[in-house]
Amino acid sequence: MKASGLGLRAASPDALADVAGPLPVTRRPSAAVAPAAVKPATVTPAVVAPAAMTPAVAAAVAGDLWLALHLAAPASGPLLERLAASAGEITPRVSLEPPDGVLLEVRGSLALFGGVEALCGKLRAACRREGVRVQLALAPTPLAALAGARAPRRRGEAPFRVLHRAELVGALAPLPLGVLRLPQETIERLAKMGVGEIGQALRLPRAGLARRFGPAMLAALDRLVGVEAEPRQNLSPRERYRARREPSYELTEQPAIIAFLAPMLAELEAFLRGRQGSVTALECRLHHREGAATRCRLRFAQPAFAAAAIGFLLGEQLAATALAAPVTACELVSSRLVPRQSASAALWQPGEHGGSLASEAPALVERLRARLGEDSVYGLCLVPEHRPEAAWRRVAALHMAANNRQQAAGSQKASAGAARPQPATRRPLWLLSTPLLLPALGAWPHYEGPLEKLAGPERIETGWWDGRDIERDYYVMRSRAAVQLWVYRQRRAPHEWFLHGVFG
Amino acid sequence: MSVNSRLARLLEHPALWRGRNAARVPTWSTGYPMLDAGLPGGGWPRAGLVEILTPQPGVGELHLLIPTLARLTGLAPARWVAWIAPPFEPYAPALAAHDVALDRQLVVRTRVPLWAMEQALGSGACEAALAWVQAARPRDLRRLQLATGRGRTLGFVFRSLAAAREASPAELRLSIAPRAGGVEVALLKSRGGSRERIAVAI
Repeated sequence: MKASGLGLRAASPDALADVAGPLPVTRRPSAAVAPAAVKPATVTPAVVAPAAMTPAVAAAVAGDLWLALHLAAPASGPLLERLAASAGEITPRVSLEPPDGVLLEVRGSLALFGGVEALCGKLRAACRREGVRVQLALAPTPLAALAGARAPRRRGEAPFRVLHRAELVGALAPLPLGVLRLPQETIERLAKMGVGEIGQALRLPRAGLARRFGPAMLAALDRLVGVEAEPRQNLSPRERYRARREPSYELTEQPAIIAFLAPMLAELEAFLRGRQGSVTALECRLHHREGAATRCRLRFAQPAFAAAAIGFLLGEQLAATALAAPVTACELVSSRLVPRQSASAALWQPGEHGGSLASEAPALVERLRARLGEDSVYGLCLVPEHRPEAAWRRVAALHMAANNRQQAAGSQKASAGAARPQPATRRPLWLLSTPLLLPALGAWPHYEGPLEKLAGPERIETGWWDGRDIERDYYVMRSRAAVQLWVYRQRRAPHEWFLHGVFG
Repeated sequence: MSVNSRLARLLEHPALWRGRNAARVPTWSTGYPMLDAGLPGGGWPRAGLVEILTPQPGVGELHLLIPTLARLTGLAPARWVAWIAPPFEPYAPALAAHDVALDRQLVVRTRVPLWAMEQALGSGACEAALAWVQAARPRDLRRLQLATGRGRTLGFVFRSLAAAREASPAELRLSIAPRAGGVEVALLKSRGGSRERIAVAI
């Protein structure tokens, strides 16, 4: 076939053979007639050859050989993932086709595993171990392999094995359309038109097909015969570390438990080093002879991998945990692995000229949290609000690395500029988390003696929309000990006085 | 050689310790010229423990630090400012109004402020750490003083005025009393600071 003979082709019995033959590859894309540019009216009597493809696409799809594994019954997600994991021994390019399919790209693996039969035998053995019945099919495109595997097969019939693209369309032609998993409505409409097999559908005029059944149908047929590439998402295995050890005698003391955990942590570090990964959370379960296990959860401010650092945090956490009974077994379960971020050590120490934060800041936060609890360590941020108690918020996320500092400084400046209180209204540096009721003797409140008014009132009356509305008059007052206080009087009866802040 | 120059040469002898000139430590300006003039070296030490004694919390001690905190958190590679066991909630809008970078503040609620303070000072992750401590033995403060050197951190410990009679290993020790329109600072211990009371308008 010549590269120039791509555009229109007369409808003839061997048009199909041509499509199945060598791939139509365009050397100069501008010279090719793209089917989309052709007016549908002019092509009604003709079959349009599949869309031209660029050399890169052709190279990407031509070499592949896909093996589809179709389960007799729809399977659960974990079972599919287990099958995919055992298929991962054959090739890294494994993808799932839920609910009942797994796809493998095996062109490169054929020689290694001793040919098609040996490879299929290995896969069948893996499926037998899982106790599932499967049908295997090989084809140069993922969809064709799936279609071949899904197609019902009579006893004694040869399995669907197409190793070369030239044979693909011929092999697909007798398969029922149902194996493509098209929408039920499309199948029914095609059946009414007398189209029940893939070969018949491929022979239909493309333009008409696209008009009646939408471009998705056309794209599916193009992917089936390999005219259009079908990118597959490779399944990356989800790994986590899990280990359980039983000591030869029951452990009662925390130091003994930590000493017993140390080799497991070293193993965890080796496991992570081998995979160049790190973990964001780790759970330590201490099993007792009876009753529920004691759980100790560690969440790291930054992904951790060093056994020493994890061991220190685990020790802190264990020291704060009360053991109900002696420990008969220890179990470590990690979170999913995340790629390890390695950074070079800084030349300067933090605090020296040019020194900046590296790992010290997350390490400090982790250490404080491990002993004092998650909620005891927090940051501050502004909330654009007029209610004084709602104008700020605690921030739990404190993983601020040195490199996003610039960005943070910019946004901080912007937010501070936007939400900063007007200079006319002074705000105290200290706020009481719950306002303190002050006794009022006469017109003014008392706090360790009578208070002297310095400024006010500043009326704050807002918040009606969420049911926590306030109506308050704020005053700056000085106590007898010369401390400046932020005091308010409720505007509603009973007009009580409260201490809300200290200017510090 | 005149008597004066001979005297000057004699005074250069390293074994001689002269009060005011001894404090050649790097410092941060406090932001209050009157206070800078009174403090040894002209400001807060860049690394070291400063003990501040107040008759009660809120007499104006925090305002003394605010310009320093604003400057420290505004540095390009700024580290944290840790607030350990503060008596009330640090009020974010007021801090922001004083140009203190809120994303560098770390508030720690704890009943063991000395441990948390030592961690913060020694970690090297903090520019400054502020701790409100009820009771501290001199050896506890000594540990904090050593930690400031490890982490190159400026530490402030706030204590009650009743602690003035106890010995303290802190580098700088001052008491604060409220006055009209400001505070009055007295240096209880310093390496060559002013012996007068310093009036600071805030």
